[in-house]
Amino acid sequence: MPEGKLCNRKLVDTKEFLDALLSDKSGEQYYEEMNHLDVDTAKLWSTIQKTFKSRLKTWLEICAHCGLCADSCFFYLANNKDPKQVPSYKIQSTLGEIVKRKGKVDNQFMQMTMDTAWAKCSCCNRCGMYCPFGIDMGIMFGYLRGLCFSQGFVPWELKIGTGMHRIYNAQMDVTTEDWVDTCEWMAEENEEDYPGLTIPIDKENADIIYTVNAREPKHYPQDIAEAAILFHLAGEDWTVPSEGWEETSLSMFAGDWESCRMQVESVYAAMDRLKPKRMVVTECGHAYRATVIEGPYWAGLKSGKPPVESLHYVEWVAEALRTGKLKLDPNKKIKEPVTYQDSCNYIRNAGLGDCAREIMSYIAEDFREMTPNREHNFCCGGGGGLNGIGRYRVQRNIGLKVKRDQILKTGAKLVIAPCHNCWDAIRDQEEVYHDGIRWSFLKPILLDMVIVPDHLKPKEE
Amino acid sequence: MFKKILFATTASPSCDYAARVAFDIAKRYESELIAFHVLGIPSRGFSQSIQDVRTGETVSYDEDYIQWVVEEIKNTYAKQLDDYSKCIISAVPGIPHTEILRAARKNDVDLIVMGASAQQEDGEDEESFVYRSIVGRTLQSVAKAARCPVLVISRPAASFWGGFSHIVFGTDFSKAADSAFLFSLNLAKALDCKLHIFHALDISSVHTGKLKEQDEIDEQLRDARNKIRKKYLSNIKDFKNYDIEVWEGIPYVEIVKFAREKFADLIVMAHHTKISDPEKALLGSTMEQVVLRANCPVASVNHPDKVANL
Repeated sequence: MPEGKLCNRKLVDTKEFLDALLSDKSGEQYYEEMNHLDVDTAKLWSTIQKTFKSRLKTWLEICAHCGLCADSCFFYLANNKDPKQVPSYKIQSTLGEIVKRKGKVDNQFMQMTMDTAWAKCSCCNRCGMYCPFGIDMGIMFGYLRGLCFSQGFVPWELKIGTGMHRIYNAQMDVTTEDWVDTCEWMAEENEEDYPGLTIPIDKENADIIYTVNAREPKHYPQDIAEAAILFHLAGEDWTVPSEGWEETSLSMFAGDWESCRMQVESVYAAMDRLKPKRMVVTECGHAYRATVIEGPYWAGLKSGKPPVESLHYVEWVAEALRTGKLKLDPNKKIKEPVTYQDSCNYIRNAGLGDCAREIMSYIAEDFREMTPNREHNFCCGGGGGLNGIGRYRVQRNIGLKVKRDQILKTGAKLVIAPCHNCWDAIRDQEEVYHDGIRWSFLKPILLDMVIVPDHLKPKEE
Repeated sequence: MFKKILFATTASPSCDYAARVAFDIAKRYESELIAFHVLGIPSRGFSQSIQDVRTGETVSYDEDYIQWVVEEIKNTYAKQLDDYSKCIISAVPGIPHTEILRAARKNDVDLIVMGASAQQEDGEDEESFVYRSIVGRTLQSVAKAARCPVLVISRPAASFWGGFSHIVFGTDFSKAADSAFLFSLNLAKALDCKLHIFHALDISSVHTGKLKEQDEIDEQLRDARNKIRKKYLSNIKDFKNYDIEVWEGIPYVEIVKFAREKFADLIVMAHHTKISDPEKALLGSTMEQVVLRANCPVASVNHPDKVANL
């Protein structure tokens, strides 16, 4: 059978198609159709010829099969050192084969490739640090995901994710009205406790433009309120854009590069329109990677940088605490042992490890590092889109073991996880393993210990 | 009075008593009733998966699923709906307190009615722990942030909204309590019943060994009475049907005892704690303890928006 109704090579750019995908319970029909989806081998090969360039070619060829990448991969460690989980094997047996066979692969092969690209690699890029040649399998898997996507072999939830980005310019069905309304609501709900609190929308020339993850307006609006309160207490001149507020990119996890570009351009357009001095993104790892690290290339910006200087939330927090914009009550420092989850996307891939340590030095009395840590830290186990994919739940849960062992070894019961994905994975880990671990973003922790300046306190009668 | 009422329900037996009250009030005042159910809590990251709050199962939702849940709720409340049809049923996925507050704001409702599980002792298994903490947190968050009064019903004995003769207003003298007072007063006027203005002086510190001299207690009791006179009676003007009482003890115990003694039909309090940690919320504030123990509905009022004109 050629293409199915739901599982096909078409892009999800109509609401009808998106709704049809959503109404397919757990993707049953979608995956059934996938069993019959033909591979367009000619298109696959021509895509490869156009996009498979010198860096990836070199990497595939010079891999010496030394296996030094094996122990770097949390999937390999979590699966009893199964040789099939060695990163070089995983990429050689999928992308390597497709190239070798000049794209002449069948349905079964593509499904195996999909299962490998999403359930055996979270694109955490750790292997790249341990390869003597610097071969980064995470980057190659990212490329491979793009090939899979172009052939229609992509997990159901991520196909939906690309549709959300294409239709709503957000990873979830949050419209501009929903977003603006949520901001107004959150300001309203907190203005009594924090007199003068506002969430300025579309203010021009502000010092900071703040962008978020669509989950926040959708399910966790308190997160937006917390950010607003902290900006308010720090005396920042800030704003949120009515459009272009969504920083995340499920399209990046899915390999839908065109919608990656569309998404990130909406954020850059907000920057161009409102001319802020700097951008700060919420506590989300892949949002930062998508908009600050990869985005400029998707959007074809020659500078390789976003239109304005862009900070991850931890950079802003470290700065605010360092300069005294935010003052913390020293008596309220976290007394119990506490550890920090280094998100791959902004620690390993963007070098913000020092910021995290600086913050912990201000807020914790007994900070315990995981081993290894910083850029050597392991993925939470849910990165690269894995948290949201039902088909790979079992594999994901096995992968969580490595992070769990790391956390338990610290003796800390509290994990600070300033990344939506890590936060989810650690929550799920607790759901699966019941270790009594608690997890938190930075914002609620900071709100508990911040000193409210006298002139911003509510007036009691 | 109460043009629009949001009845937030788990669509399970724990909300049966609240349902009775919600439909009773709606019928009495011909209010527009919205039976509102948060059907599942988001799980699995960004995906459409939710954990159904009733079954605990992970499901992916869409319009059909939501419609099916709405039908289920219609069946649950078939009897009440037969009797009173001015009721819209609405089900959405999300975090319960967030969605309840969002819907209350969007529909500009005048009253939220909620149930609360009184069976806190039952079952130590994890599911009930999770369930309880969700209920506790939902109640806590909704009561704190709602712009309108929140009426909470936890026990069968508390599930009648009938002829009113006694309203107990428990005050802690906070700013939020001003709104609670205004609501009590206006309600007492509208329903022509007696208003009991009550304060419980917290001497629970005796349990930690900090004994207070009786003189000190007496003085504080006197102070509290004066405070009530100054703060509330000056606003009362033409309304005469009230009394003032100040007792010492553990506040929630005293309020419940006082309400029982007065055959109260409603307790009104402010609830404005800032604790948002569900674990701590489980231990409960005064209001939550009152909710779980009172023989009558308890209204939490924290904001002036919806209490001035009843």
